[in-house]
Amino acid sequence: MGAIGKSIKRVDALGKVTGNALFPGDINKPNQTYAKILFSNVPHARIIKIDASEAEAMPGVVAVLTAADVPVNEYGLNNMDQPVLCGPGAVKPYTDRVRFIGDQIAVIVAESEAIATRARDLIKIDYEMLPVVTDPLDAMKPDAILLHPDKGSNTFGHYLIRKGDVSNAFKQADVIIEAEYRTPAQEHVFLQPEAGIAYIDEEGRVTVEASGQWVHEDQHQIAHALNLPLEQVRVIYPAIGGAFGGREDISIQIALALAAMRLHERGIERPVKIIWSREESIIGHHKRHPYIIRSKWGATREGKVIAAENELIADGGAYYYTSTKVLGNATLMCTGPYEIPNVHVDSYAVYTNNIPNGAFRGFGGPQGAFAAEMQMDKLAEALRMDPVEIRMKNILHTGSLLSVGTPIPGQVNLEEVLRQCALKAGWHETPSGWQLKASMKNQGDDGSKRRGIGIGVAFKNIGFSFGYQENCTAEIELHGDAEIDQVILKHAGAEVGQGAHTVFIQMAAEALDVPIDKISLIASDTAVTGNSGSVSASRMTFMAGNAIRGAAALALEKWQNEERPTVATYTYLAPKTTPYDPHTGRSEPNVAYGYVAEAAEVLVDVETGELKITKVICADDVGKAISPNLVKGQIEGAVVQALGYTTIENFIQKDGYTLTKNLSTYVIPTVLDVPDEVESIILEFPEERGPWGARGMAEMPVLPLAPAICAAVKQATGVWFDEFPLTPERILTGIGEFEN
Amino acid sequence: MKPIQFDYYAPTSVDEGLDKLTELGYDGKVLAGGQSLIAAMNFRMARPAALVDLNRIPELAYIKPTDDGGLAIGTMTRVRRVEQDAEVAKRFPLLREVAQFIGHAQVRTRGTFGGAIAHADPAGQLPAISMAMNANLLVCSKTGERWVNATDFIFGPFMTVLEPQEMLAEVVLPPNPPRTGSVYKQVSRQKGGYAQAAVIAIMTLDEAGACQNVRLVMMSVGETPIVSEKAVEILVGQKPSEQAFKAVAEAVVTGEIDPATDLHATADYRRQLVRVLVVRALTEACERASKGG
Repeated sequence: MGAIGKSIKRVDALGKVTGNALFPGDINKPNQTYAKILFSNVPHARIIKIDASEAEAMPGVVAVLTAADVPVNEYGLNNMDQPVLCGPGAVKPYTDRVRFIGDQIAVIVAESEAIATRARDLIKIDYEMLPVVTDPLDAMKPDAILLHPDKGSNTFGHYLIRKGDVSNAFKQADVIIEAEYRTPAQEHVFLQPEAGIAYIDEEGRVTVEASGQWVHEDQHQIAHALNLPLEQVRVIYPAIGGAFGGREDISIQIALALAAMRLHERGIERPVKIIWSREESIIGHHKRHPYIIRSKWGATREGKVIAAENELIADGGAYYYTSTKVLGNATLMCTGPYEIPNVHVDSYAVYTNNIPNGAFRGFGGPQGAFAAEMQMDKLAEALRMDPVEIRMKNILHTGSLLSVGTPIPGQVNLEEVLRQCALKAGWHETPSGWQLKASMKNQGDDGSKRRGIGIGVAFKNIGFSFGYQENCTAEIELHGDAEIDQVILKHAGAEVGQGAHTVFIQMAAEALDVPIDKISLIASDTAVTGNSGSVSASRMTFMAGNAIRGAAALALEKWQNEERPTVATYTYLAPKTTPYDPHTGRSEPNVAYGYVAEAAEVLVDVETGELKITKVICADDVGKAISPNLVKGQIEGAVVQALGYTTIENFIQKDGYTLTKNLSTYVIPTVLDVPDEVESIILEFPEERGPWGARGMAEMPVLPLAPAICAAVKQATGVWFDEFPLTPERILTGIGEFEN
Repeated sequence: MKPIQFDYYAPTSVDEGLDKLTELGYDGKVLAGGQSLIAAMNFRMARPAALVDLNRIPELAYIKPTDDGGLAIGTMTRVRRVEQDAEVAKRFPLLREVAQFIGHAQVRTRGTFGGAIAHADPAGQLPAISMAMNANLLVCSKTGERWVNATDFIFGPFMTVLEPQEMLAEVVLPPNPPRTGSVYKQVSRQKGGYAQAAVIAIMTLDEAGACQNVRLVMMSVGETPIVSEKAVEILVGQKPSEQAFKAVAEAVVTGEIDPATDLHATADYRRQLVRVLVVRALTEACERASKGG
């Protein structure tokens, strides 16, 4: 016992700090070939003709693959609306179109990367250019050009919530706040751009070693596109250099698998390797969705929010990706962690010719939380009420009804999470309610520098939502004679840098009551490990822990019955959830939640517009911190990523072309740009459904930081910013010091 | 990307290096710290046929006090050394102040003082500093040597008067007169990132407290660092005042700079930054000068 709740050395630490860990780009195999992928480089067009003859004739070129070479020319995580390779020759209609600049047209396989690159540039594409639509509001208009003519509309997702009667409630409201918010795209900038190697393994399987977040889902999509039985495809994850949702969707995996399969069919038994450059990575994978959120909220004089009406429009980009799932979350979270009796939400996901948008840490939560928290702050201002006080008056409690009409599951400790954050940040509870201490209200007198503080609160789902049957499989082998000498844990869960594998081993040790060093892990190989689901939705500790606990119990039972060696497999099935009712939005959306409150202190230079985040306090109810250091690492990492989202990062696309294609133009925070102080408050209110009470936590600190910073900037400058990133130029323009 | 194919030479003495540069002519390019050149080569924006690497010539790395109170800095002296040198801090506190804005510690550990000046990046701090400090540059070739003032050395973005067979060997910084204060101010999107605008002010006061001399240089708001003539015109001989500093700022913004709009900021915003930073830099330089520098 005692394996959990302490910070052990990460199991992957030594390999990563010594350079021994192999990331996909580090893997080389004898006689390998090198691939390059030809991107469309135009945002919307029909391909009339592809002439690859010069490329094919070039010495050193092994193969050039185009649409006609793809058995089933479609893929997609939630909807297979994306061609593997765009171009004429496929059976499926409209696969001859390109819809964003990163659409893939050809895979060039050659003796070297240089040859593949030169051959790629020799391919001639005859395009019929199509009108480009990049604004989702334009794309929703009836006369807009359709990106997917077979679907009849660019709007591909719509949810609604109808709870109570908002129009009547607005009549009762003493104050109403209306605003339109805009949140930006964000690039993941994982350290390791996409890379991988594909080959036919010793059992004849098309095998791809690449980074991802869910080996079995990658396997599924590859098998579908290649028209192979699932067991003929194998996906293995080596060390992964970050993910953040950016590896949820396919990038290079199908192209690589296709190349390996076609070479094999031609009698060429050679592995195919690819490494994307940073520019290819930025163009080639999805971004965080930009959202337009129109909000109208009403509250009583006493500070009780009685009506919330939101309209959300998500720019889905060119393909489906996880847009509707992200939208589902944003729809739930756009009214915040508050019990509001009358709610009216309509949300839409819309195709445009921008780079597809999809999963990114928070998954719709940050967009929804921005609108909700800004609305709360503005209501508080209008009511001359403290921002903590108004939140306390409306916050979800155990048993509270969500906007979707059902009670939130489990014990809810939001009030305590907010209380701890607020106390640490400079609030105190007075007989007349919560107040910011007088000393914190001062904007400061340091010349042009103004101080401010803001606070936000949020809830984040743990696990997949809205009717998906959550599941996770673990297998445990026990070896030994009288005592357990060795434990082998087989688990598909991806180690993307978050520390999942360390936590798996801690949880297995705890469940089996054996020392940590007796456990070895075989991970993330579809040929060996059962389906774990994705490392996303803050779900892996929760789901894997339950699976490991189940497998451990079974294994120990068999061990008692003297089975040697013992092999036990267990699939955890989480309690069921339900989808949005199409007419009312009623649902039981999620298995469990985590809770977060975050305060930010800022310094604004009102002459230059410079914004410095001096301090962030982040209180997180994680249920149980299996490894406290890893939890702290996740909080601090999420704070920096959210800070970049709010202040520094600025992803710019114009007419479907990306202008920020590298890290000199897409600027992210470095270690010198992080707040002077990030204080993590780790709270452990057990979640009864979680393993040892653990919830999930890796996303939630991203949710309330943007609105907390905007509230702080408001205090410092007197101006609300309903759109970010808060670039110095935007701040200066906003406060009227400068007219652009 | 990777650079195009190039030849590589690593001379171990200045003479050997100059021989090689003469032999190579326009095909040759000096490699100093490589913090800009190698990146430019990787992007194929620079395509030298041959590199002459000066890193194995120890005689080019030094910081020597000069008799008049200035400093002579060998071209291959790492920026990090300049940043940490006690004599530099004593004689030219500005250099230590500005160094922290040059890339990150890793860049400064490798990047060289002379290399940065010879690279003449309009967004680089050291070319602008060399102009503000009125540096004299020793340019050597096989056939002799010449001295060039920093202001005459740079004539365009990434363009200097260096001939292919020449190398910048030494940077001599003349001493600051008594009652001189110097300041560097910049705004950037990211610490260690490129400045959206930056201003250097070096002001000398006379015994009566009037402005005896001023060097005001703007950076990242034109094709080269811009030495303000208006500042001299308005301030020299006058008692410094907030009003005068504002007049300088206005004159600079309307007449002397030519900022561009790019992804990070508009030209108008850059003008606004210069307006603010000029006043701040002059004010602080003046304060420091009045305290003795």
